[in-house]
Amino acid sequence: MTDKYTQLVSHGLGKDVAKRLGLPQPVVLRRYQPGAPLVTGPVLVIGDSAGADDIATTLLGWGLDVRRNALPKEELGAIVVVLDAVQHPRDLSKSVLTAGTSLRDLAANARVVTISRTSQSAPSPASAAARQGIDGLLRSLAKELRAGTTANGILLDDDLATTSPSALGALRFFLSGRSAYVDGQFLTVSSTSGMLPNDSDKPLAGKVAVVTGAARGIGAAIARTLHRDGATIVAVDIPAAGDHLAAVANEVRGTALQLDISRDDAGHRIIEHAIERYGRLDIVVHNAGITRDRLLANMDEGRWQSVIAVNIAAQLNINEALMASKYFKDAPRIVSVASTSGIAGNRGQTNYGASKGGVIGMVRSTAALMESFGGTINAVAPGFIETEMTAKMPFAIREAARRLNSLKQGGQPQDVAEAIAFLASDAAGGISGEVLRVCGQQLVGA
Amino acid sequence: MTEPQPVVLGELPSLSKLYVNAATTAARRRVMGTSAGERLPVVSHEVRNVLADVGNLTAYQHLVGETASDILPAGYVHALAFPVSMSVMNRDDFPLPLLGMIHLRNHAEQHAPILFSEPLDIRSWAENLAGHRAGTQLDVMAEVRSASSGDLLWRGVSTYLAKGVFLPGIDKPGNSNGSPGSSDFSPPDPTALWQLGLDAGRNYATVSGDFNPIHLSVLSAKALGLRGSIAHGMYLASRALADVGAVKSDSFAWDVTFEAPVFLPARVALDIATVHSGSGGWERSDYVAWNPRSGRRHFTGTVSALS
Amino acid sequence: MAVADETSGGTRNQGSAPQAPRAAVIVGGNRIPFARTGGAYVKSSNQDMLTAALDGLIARFGLQDERIGEVAAGAVLKHSRDFNLTREAVLGSALSPETPAYDLQQACATGLETVIGLSNKIKLGQIDSAIAGGVDSASDAPIAVSEGLREILLDLNRAKTPVQKLKIIGRVRPKDLAPDAPNTGEPRTGLSMGEHQALTTAQWKITREAQDELSFNSHRNLAAAYERGFFDDLITPYRGLNRDSNMRADTTLEKLSSLKPVFGKNLGSEATMTAGNSTPLTDGASTVLLATAEWADAHGLPKLATVLDGEAAAVDFVHGKDGLLMAPVFAVPRLLARHGLTLEDIDFFEIHEAFAGTVLSTLAAWEDEDFGRTRLGLDGALGKVDRAKLNVNGSSLAAGHPFAATGGRIVASLAKMLHEKGSVDGRPARGLISVCAAGGQGVVALLEAA
Repeated sequence: MTDKYTQLVSHGLGKDVAKRLGLPQPVVLRRYQPGAPLVTGPVLVIGDSAGADDIATTLLGWGLDVRRNALPKEELGAIVVVLDAVQHPRDLSKSVLTAGTSLRDLAANARVVTISRTSQSAPSPASAAARQGIDGLLRSLAKELRAGTTANGILLDDDLATTSPSALGALRFFLSGRSAYVDGQFLTVSSTSGMLPNDSDKPLAGKVAVVTGAARGIGAAIARTLHRDGATIVAVDIPAAGDHLAAVANEVRGTALQLDISRDDAGHRIIEHAIERYGRLDIVVHNAGITRDRLLANMDEGRWQSVIAVNIAAQLNINEALMASKYFKDAPRIVSVASTSGIAGNRGQTNYGASKGGVIGMVRSTAALMESFGGTINAVAPGFIETEMTAKMPFAIREAARRLNSLKQGGQPQDVAEAIAFLASDAAGGISGEVLRVCGQQLVGA
Repeated sequence: MTEPQPVVLGELPSLSKLYVNAATTAARRRVMGTSAGERLPVVSHEVRNVLADVGNLTAYQHLVGETASDILPAGYVHALAFPVSMSVMNRDDFPLPLLGMIHLRNHAEQHAPILFSEPLDIRSWAENLAGHRAGTQLDVMAEVRSASSGDLLWRGVSTYLAKGVFLPGIDKPGNSNGSPGSSDFSPPDPTALWQLGLDAGRNYATVSGDFNPIHLSVLSAKALGLRGSIAHGMYLASRALADVGAVKSDSFAWDVTFEAPVFLPARVALDIATVHSGSGGWERSDYVAWNPRSGRRHFTGTVSALS
Repeated sequence: MAVADETSGGTRNQGSAPQAPRAAVIVGGNRIPFARTGGAYVKSSNQDMLTAALDGLIARFGLQDERIGEVAAGAVLKHSRDFNLTREAVLGSALSPETPAYDLQQACATGLETVIGLSNKIKLGQIDSAIAGGVDSASDAPIAVSEGLREILLDLNRAKTPVQKLKIIGRVRPKDLAPDAPNTGEPRTGLSMGEHQALTTAQWKITREAQDELSFNSHRNLAAAYERGFFDDLITPYRGLNRDSNMRADTTLEKLSSLKPVFGKNLGSEATMTAGNSTPLTDGASTVLLATAEWADAHGLPKLATVLDGEAAAVDFVHGKDGLLMAPVFAVPRLLARHGLTLEDIDFFEIHEAFAGTVLSTLAAWEDEDFGRTRLGLDGALGKVDRAKLNVNGSSLAAGHPFAATGGRIVASLAKMLHEKGSVDGRPARGLISVCAAGGQGVVALLEAA
């Protein structure tokens, strides 16, 4: 699934030539395989706080090779920098510079993860400065890392321990191959809700998940990934895509529901199907979306309306039905697919940008409504993902879009699916109202 | 009329040889100006212990649309007896030219089912020489009996017309005997529509042995003065009999009167009407066939229960 | 036409309503859109299409790896290589390969007969679940070699020595090489189905206007059903086709009335049957999931309707006693009598539209006092079908008619309609299906909302 250029420059002669010419050097990313180790080598845990000790102890408990001090010339699988106790920007230097001395020892596809606290809840300006400083620090560091190594951060609300369930869930996600195309991003943990899975290869065991737009591309990958993680899948797509939908449903041993999600009764139909067939509904992934690109000067009403109707109005409508249903009360999960176009914008996509921005707004607002019954809602914002749709882009534009990120390559549908699978899991119960970008740290825009 | 004297032939005569012989006889008579006289020979030809060829029987049954059962269709028995009849008409003392003779009517009685394995005695003779407004007609009789029991199983009467041949001492009829009222025929709704190819004549010749040139090809038919080849009358009648189907009982009479010939290729429309008796049993099936384009009638007939 | 005075084909009630120990429930169905011959499925075989329809059904109801009691389906136009068509389709599907299957063939009634036969097995307790279906391709129809060549090839196969073989090969004539395509003509009459129906249409004095109107309603009803999303859970697209390609949502009575007649042109009466009020040759496949109520419950699957009963009839069309496609006229009164029902007790009529004339001749015969007395053995006419209950979501004139696939299309659609209707006057809604078939046959069935 890796693009041809990445394959060419990853080995032998192609690699040498690309290096000498100064061409971008993407590597084949380490992606999650069931049963594969969480990281590729020892994990260096940096930090003096009690929270840092707790993390080191926990990682040991996971069977990882943990270092509190770097050994000379030892290749590392990951560096975890625990900064939960910093009070002033000055407090950053020791840990950060220590981490810096070990960066050259990182293996390919290694991980750097920071654990710190949200600046909004900071008790003082200095504390807020220190906490927000980590944001700029991490995003810059991510751009310095090479060979598939990523840097991401976990933000904890003030009263949360570094070992609260979703902090550990997020840590596992960032360390693992599941986050291969997530780079330079933060996940905020806002509660102690959530629970690590008994079987880390089947974190969704026993769950019933609805995936809209599941007939192809990212939606099909989401269905496959959730199924791989143990969920039973209801694959939804428009009737006209029913043949591809049936193929996906049969592949993941789920059921196909041919449904236009912009119908008024779509939410009801989804609930009815899941309850009738499986007796429960735990996860809804709003993936279905359309593009009808035009410069706003040339935009007609049909193009505008259809994008709004499918991409955001339908999600709002279905969510309303879900939250009104007695069957959606047992710590349910909603995960929406947004887009970096909804964050940074994209020329020719005012309608799409509005709809995807709308998804982000909806997610932030809905989180509070789901809190009372332990529900969460989050969004994933994909960047450039290699799909049938992007394969149709003109070559030069596609090449440019592919390379303009820290990982110098496009992501795979599976990368988006992995993020969604994590956010849909019990382990992410303390994460809600978040937007996680799966974009390889796009260099332009936000 | 005196009882015909039997002549027992050793085996079934070859029809193709008979046709060749008929052609040379006709040529000789034309050249020599000789005639065979004005009376029918008082003689019957007989072949004994005739056995149907099962492969040939199956081909016949397939061709006319009969179920390929072990029982000989009435039309097949006619074909089996035909060489014997032909040998009578091919005698030197037969007064009418065999070639160009027109089949006017056919009547057959099936008295009992005939199994293909049953050896048969077949006898044929000619009688009823009579005038016709277009020439001279006669009946060729055939009887088929069980070689073992001697029981009469099948009887046929084929009425032929030698067109344009007028024998001295035989009067033309008044006005009867013509084709009855074909002008005021209005076709009913068809119950069947047959598509007959150019090869319909050759195909029937293969299973019946009747290689009369008027059925074989346009060229051979034209040589005998026709504008094209025509379907065998007995082929058409046999298909109609097959279409009547299983409703007919073990013993039945089968009549057909031929009118306009069917020039090949052709589409032939057919109507079969079943008539039941007051008690609800089958009484008879009437059939009529016509050209669906012109509405001209080709033949009519009846299959009826023998009491 | 022969004058017939007896009622051998009549409504003599044979047997009583079956007292089934358990019901056969229709869980749902799936078909692929029907395509006009030579269209979207031009290269697809019967096995391809049946497998596609099966896989859509499996996906809809989550039957992957499930061992179904039995699968029965069939095709009217069948290649000799498809001697085990249904089993091969099962093996190519996501069902458990341990699912047994058999082929069935009853001309255009094939699909409905698979439903009735499998329902009976369920009622008898032989199986708990079943998939009924049918498929036909007129695009990928089998072409036989000519009879002459066929015999030569068979002889060649039997020949032992090279000399014998050479002799046999020498028998091949150019005309033997022309292929022998199947035609829709009745073997015993040589009349095409359309010509047969033209005779019946004329006999029952069905007007051109009435036929065009029925066809117009079929297209309009089918299009409205699509718009309503009625087929969202009945159809899975195939080969890029989302809807039946024969459907003309925008057709008008004017357009239909401008078409030239194609059948019955050599009859004495006016020719009234056009391409617009006759079904075209079509490719497609359909499937229906049947089960006991317990099986459906255990699998969390819906119960749309039950298959109450079925009846087959045949007529003597060879001798013109009845029209080729008129057998349902006799089957329906027998079926209704067995259940003590009349036409008024039926809430939905699904009368397969082989031709508009077929449906209208059927209705005319049921409304005819004399026919009711002399042929159906009733006191008078069987009764009138309320047109508002007839083919309310369109039928074959609009959807097309891939022979063996039509039964499954109708059963699944009617089951859904009955489920939506629920009950009428405190009793379950009832639906009647009537499918005419070649050879003078007809199969009808009675369904009830579950």
